[in-house]
This record gives sequence, structure tokens and C-alpha cells, in this order.
Amino acid sequence: MSDYKNIWKNVLSEIELEVSKANYLTLFNQTRLLSVEDGVATVAAPSGMIIDLLQRKFFSIIKKATDKHIGINTKIVFVPKTVVDVVLEDKNDTLFSQTETKSSIGHLPRVRSDYSFENMAVSGSNQLAYVSATTVAKNPGATYNPLFIYGPVGVGKTHLMQAIANEVYAKKPSSKILYTTSEEFTNDVVEAIRTNNTARMKRRFRDLDLLVIDDIQFIAGKEKVQEELFHTFNTLVDQNSQIVLSSDRHPSEIKQLEKRLISRFGGGLTVDIQSPDFELRCAILLIKAKKYNISLSFNTAKAIAQKAQDARGLEGLLLRLITEAQNKGLSEITEDILASFLPVEKDEPRGFHPDEIIDNVCSYYNVKPTQLKSPKRDAFLVRPRQVAMFLLKKQMGLTFVEIGHLLGGRDHTTIMHGVGKIEKLVEQKGNMDFLGINDQMLGKKVD
Amino acid sequence: MLVSLLSDNLLEKISFLNHAVSSRATLPILSNFLLETKRGKLVISATDLEIGISAEVPASVEKEGKTTVLAKNFLDLITNIKDQKIKLELEENVLKLKGDKVRASFQTMSADEFPKLYEQKGDVILTLEKKDVEKFFQRVSFAAAVDSSRPSLLGVLFEKGKEGVVLVATDQYRLSYQKTPLKLKEGLEKPIVVPGRVIKELSFLKEDDGKISFCVSKENNQVVITQAETEIVGRLIDADYPQYEKIMPEDADTKTEIDREELLNAIRICSVFARETANIVKLSVEKDKLVVSANSPQVGEDLVEIAAKTIGEGNEIAFNAKYLIDVLTTLEEEELIFEMTGPLNPGVFKVKGDNNFLHLIMPIRIQG
Repeated sequence: MSDYKNIWKNVLSEIELEVSKANYLTLFNQTRLLSVEDGVATVAAPSGMIIDLLQRKFFSIIKKATDKHIGINTKIVFVPKTVVDVVLEDKNDTLFSQTETKSSIGHLPRVRSDYSFENMAVSGSNQLAYVSATTVAKNPGATYNPLFIYGPVGVGKTHLMQAIANEVYAKKPSSKILYTTSEEFTNDVVEAIRTNNTARMKRRFRDLDLLVIDDIQFIAGKEKVQEELFHTFNTLVDQNSQIVLSSDRHPSEIKQLEKRLISRFGGGLTVDIQSPDFELRCAILLIKAKKYNISLSFNTAKAIAQKAQDARGLEGLLLRLITEAQNKGLSEITEDILASFLPVEKDEPRGFHPDEIIDNVCSYYNVKPTQLKSPKRDAFLVRPRQVAMFLLKKQMGLTFVEIGHLLGGRDHTTIMHGVGKIEKLVEQKGNMDFLGINDQMLGKKVD
Repeated sequence: MLVSLLSDNLLEKISFLNHAVSSRATLPILSNFLLETKRGKLVISATDLEIGISAEVPASVEKEGKTTVLAKNFLDLITNIKDQKIKLELEENVLKLKGDKVRASFQTMSADEFPKLYEQKGDVILTLEKKDVEKFFQRVSFAAAVDSSRPSLLGVLFEKGKEGVVLVATDQYRLSYQKTPLKLKEGLEKPIVVPGRVIKELSFLKEDDGKISFCVSKENNQVVITQAETEIVGRLIDADYPQYEKIMPEDADTKTEIDREELLNAIRICSVFARETANIVKLSVEKDKLVVSANSPQVGEDLVEIAAKTIGEGNEIAFNAKYLIDVLTTLEEEELIFEMTGPLNPGVFKVKGDNNFLHLIMPIRIQG
């Protein structure tokens, strides 16, 4: 079958040159070669009307191209048949979901049913968060309570949280689940105070088995809301209901958040999700391509993964490529399309913020920025600190004095020494692995 | 080609034919009507390659011939000519229209470019009356999907039942099921799936007493529906239909009798506040009333009570208001029965005293 597919692809690409675009898209796009037997090539087209036009107007072109690619003089027969390559199953929350998937009927408001654990790409940067989330979903309220997930935008926090909600719901549809954002929570609290009807709001938030609040950092500075959340929190934990929260930073780094809340948030498990690494970005692309029913080779995926940093950027880029491919009538994103589409890579350095470099060095060496900036000179801190100095100098072109300030008020001579040390190391040993930090930031592949 | 005819006769047909003209055709010929003389009459056809329609207009033919003209312009012009006798004459590549006071000429495209709607009609598998369309087909076709990745959902299933043809359509969120006494021709054991678009066109067939025949040609994978000289052509959908039998409900815990108009009105009132919240309206079934309510925290809330006669326990369920409005506007009977078993199983609408029809709707899960 795949042979026929290839032959037909070649035939079509030849025909595409001969006929007008309108004719090609309307008449040829949905044709398929079904078989070649005893010199008879059977071609499927969606309707009799299309076949009529193909036979009357384009028969000789089709025959010429087909003969050329099959290599023999064929007789071409058209059959009316719609060939669907792969039928996408949207299985969740439909009338047939009970019979087809055994999963429950109905769906959670505001939760996307396609966010599940199965279709999440997992790699080093999000593995811990993934494992904790599955554990929580398996046994809500019993293990890590609350589960606090933090990380930058587009790394999959929302996917993970909605997957927990979906999983808990699929297992036990009678559970009371609420997925909300901190903005909505705030609105509800304000509304309740305004209409003097707090009892109802309390019922809504406290009579739950699972409460998921996304982007909790936005409650910073809202005292009444924080107080309400604090009480809700206590009630839920007391009755063993699971709480899952997400934020773009660690609870202790959310400013204007009450101490007692910070301590509550830290009471369960706090996990971070890092920006997807290169391999994960490739995996995400392949999963998304499958979802959109288009084939994508690993090499092409690698090339795309180099161009975008977060999952949303990747998806956006992929969608544009898919549209491009479909316009050309292909079911695959080829390297040609990619090449014609992606802008030529610019070599000029991107404007980094010094903190970005420091953060990346820290995550590479697994130390904290505060440690890097502290006066301590433990052996495990010295190398990362010097690498940070080196990169700040080479990448940003900062002065030694500026770097000294950034790294906790160090003397400029200390910085000169550190930069020199790493320079020498690079000269002696060639391509050192920490140079990869830089590439990682630029979105290149780390070898 | 030279024909004379009445503009009103023409208008009636081409406004129906316009349904088959593709609005976003990439192929120019598909934006055209095919005009040809046949058997001393004028036959006009239109197609977007998915569905084709052709109809006959009474006319006096002086000279045979055929051509195609841009449908939109032709229709717009004819719409604005009031009851006149007009003459259509093809000269070279230009179609000239002459009325009492009107002169127009249309650039044409060769009729050779136009696809033939079908080769062979196939065998008649079903004949029915106009009233059957209203009674059975309309109750089903609205539930078919308009756009779906599963081709079979775009169609209406025709299945041989014990007493006659069973019609089913679903878009996965709601399902219509109708048993009919219509007899399928012997030999057609396998169910067929006819595009919902084709079935929807049935309601535009004009003649009230004309018999409607379904012709199916398996080898051409095509269905032709004819009434007198009007033909609707579509392709059969050759994908597996979902196993709807498995979700047909058994007995329900709660059954309640309601008035269609009242319920429809209540849902329309509540959908005002449901707009913000994905159109969710809640139905609470109580002993002698049904309460329809909607609320969206930022905008407001409302509820409407309507009279009901309930058997079984009280219950609550939530639906997308659109689906409720669809079924309630399609049915014409006033006394309906609503059945449900818990808030998570599909809700069922039936017509009182009619065991041949039912409509299932997926509920939406809401927080208490």
C-alpha cells in the first residue's frame, strides 16, 4: 500500500505541474491509487462527478504520468470511493465514549479533554512533575497535598493540571472537581463579598474532592482573597481533598503573599518544570504532528525544534508548516517546505538578560542563584560561578565591574581571574560541555 | 440555443439549485449553472462536486443548445425581474437575455467543462411522499454533523428494520432515531449512509403530491433522489457508522411530560444567561414542574418553571442549550416526554404516543 502511495505521490507531483492549481486542488487532491494489477491501475476519487471531469479533461495527462511512474503501459480505471487515511478519534465526552472507551460520559467545564497524561511528552525537564502528577491523580488527597507546580510559560503546567482533573474524573466520575484560575477565584470572592453571599461561595469551593487553581501568583497582593484561599485550603486539606496549584515561580518568590500561605503551599510537594530541552521539543513536535494527522520525519522535527523555545511556539510554527504543506497538497512536512518557510537563521546574538545566563548556568549545574551570588566559596560553587562570569563576559560583553555587581558584589579582579581561568580551560580542552548552556539558550542542539 | 420562458418559473428553480453552487469554489466552472435544452424543456444543473442538483423549467425551445453562466449574477438578475416573459439566446459565447424592458448579456463558459452529475441512476430502493420527508427525515437530518473528522457522522444512516427503514443521525453529542414504515427494496441488506446535506435538500422539493424516489448505484457509490424532473445527486458515504444500538437507553429512572412550546420558550429565556458559560442550561425535574435555569457568575442568572407530570424521582441534568433548541424546534408535536437516569447519562426526548422516534442528548457535567 505504501508503495502505491509513493507512486501516486510522484504521479500527482507531475500532474500538478501540468494543470491549474484550482483543478489540482479540487479534482486531484483527494485521489488515491488503490492497486496496480495485470496492467490495470485502479484510482479512487470521491465522487462520480469528479471522475467524469478527470476522464474527459485530464485522462491523457494522468495516463502519461502514471505509465511513467509505474513503468508499464497501464489501463486506468476510476472508482468512486472516499479514502480517508487515518480517522482521528475524538473519543472523549461523546455519546459513544461509553461504548468505545469505557470512559465516562460528560466533561469537566473549562478542562480540555485532550489534555491527558498519555499525550504528554516527558523528558528530564518535566519528569519529576509528571511523576508527581500521576501519583496525585492515582490517589488524590493521599500523597502530596498540595501539589505545587511551577515553571515558565509554555512548559505544560496547564496540560499537567488538566490531565490530573481528567484522570480523576475518568476514574470516578462522581468526584467533585473544580478547575479554576486564580483570576476566577478572585472574581468569585469579590462577587460573594459584594452580594453579601459568602456562604454560597464557600460551599462551591469547600465541598470538593479536587481543587485545581492555575496561575496562583495572581492572588499576590489581594489580602481578602488570600484569606479566603487560606481557609478554603485548610478545610480541603482537613477533609483529605486534593489541591493542585500552579504558578510561574516558586511560592517563596511570589511577592506580597502572606507567610501562612507560603508555608501552606510548601506543605506538600513543590516541583518545577523547566523549559523543554531539545529532545523534548522534538518529541512534542512528533506528538502534535500525529494529532494533526501529518507525517513528520525526525530530521525535520529536529530542524523545527531548533527554531522555537516553548511548546506554544512550537505548535504555532508547526501549524503554519502544516497549512503550507496542505496548500501544496502534501500529507507530509518535507524539508523543502521547511527550508522555503523558515527564515534564514540570523547569527547575530540575541539580547539576553544577564539573569537569563545566570539562571541557565544554575539549572545546568543544579545550584541556586542565591548560592551563586553568596560569598561562600565551596568547591561546588566555584566552577559554576566562573562559568557564569565567562558567559556574561563573552555573551553580554559586560565589564568586569558590572559582572562583579551581578554576582553578589565581587571585586573586578576576582572576575578577571575567573574569566581567564575558563578561557584557558577552553583553549586547553577545546569544546567544553558548559558551552552548551549558551547553545541551549539559543535553542541549538546540545551535543 | 433559443428558449422563451417565464422568469418566475425560472426563479423558483434556480434559487433551489443555488444550494448546490459552491460558495468557495476554486474551480470556476463550479460557480456556474449549466443550462441545456432537453425534451423540449430547459434543464438547469449545479454542482459543487459533493452534491449536484438539476431541475426542469417549463419553456418553449426554438433552438437546441447548452451553455453555462455565472450562477450568482444569473440568480441576482432573475430575482429582480418581476413576472416577465423572457427569451434566452446563445450567440457565440454570449448568452443574451431579453425581457419586456430588460436586455442583458452574460459571458459564458463552455458546457463541456461542466461535470456530468451521474452516469447511471441505479436502482430505486425507496419511494416516499412529500409528507414522509416532514414526518421522518427532518426529525433526523438535523442531528447529523456538519463538519467532522469522521465522515460517517456527516450522513444519515438507512438501515433495514423489522417494519421498515430505520433512520439514524448523530454528531456524537446528540442522536436522532426514527423508525419508519417505509419499505426498502429487497436485496439491500447492508445499511447505507447518505450525506446529511442531501437529506436536508429534500425539504426543498416543491411538488406536494409528487412521489420521491431514492435510486442507489452501489458500483458508482452514488445516490440520486428524484421528484418529477428534479434530481438531487450525492455520493454515498462508505465509512463505518458508529454502533448506535449500544447507547440506546433502556428504561429511565425519571420520566416527565412537558409541553414543547413551553419548554422551548423557557430554554430561550435561560439561554440569555447561558451565553457566557458555554450555553449551559440546567433542567431540574420535580414532581409537578420542571425548572429550567442558567447562571453565569459575572452576568446574572434566571430560572423558568414550567408545568410537568413526573413519574419517578426528582433529578437534575445540564445540557448545551443549542441542542435542546434544535430538537424542540424540529419537532412539531406539542406533547413530549423527557426521560433521564442520573445527570451523567444521555437525556432522551420522545413524542408522546409515538414509540418510533427518540432523540438523545449528551449532558454536560456541572458542579453542584
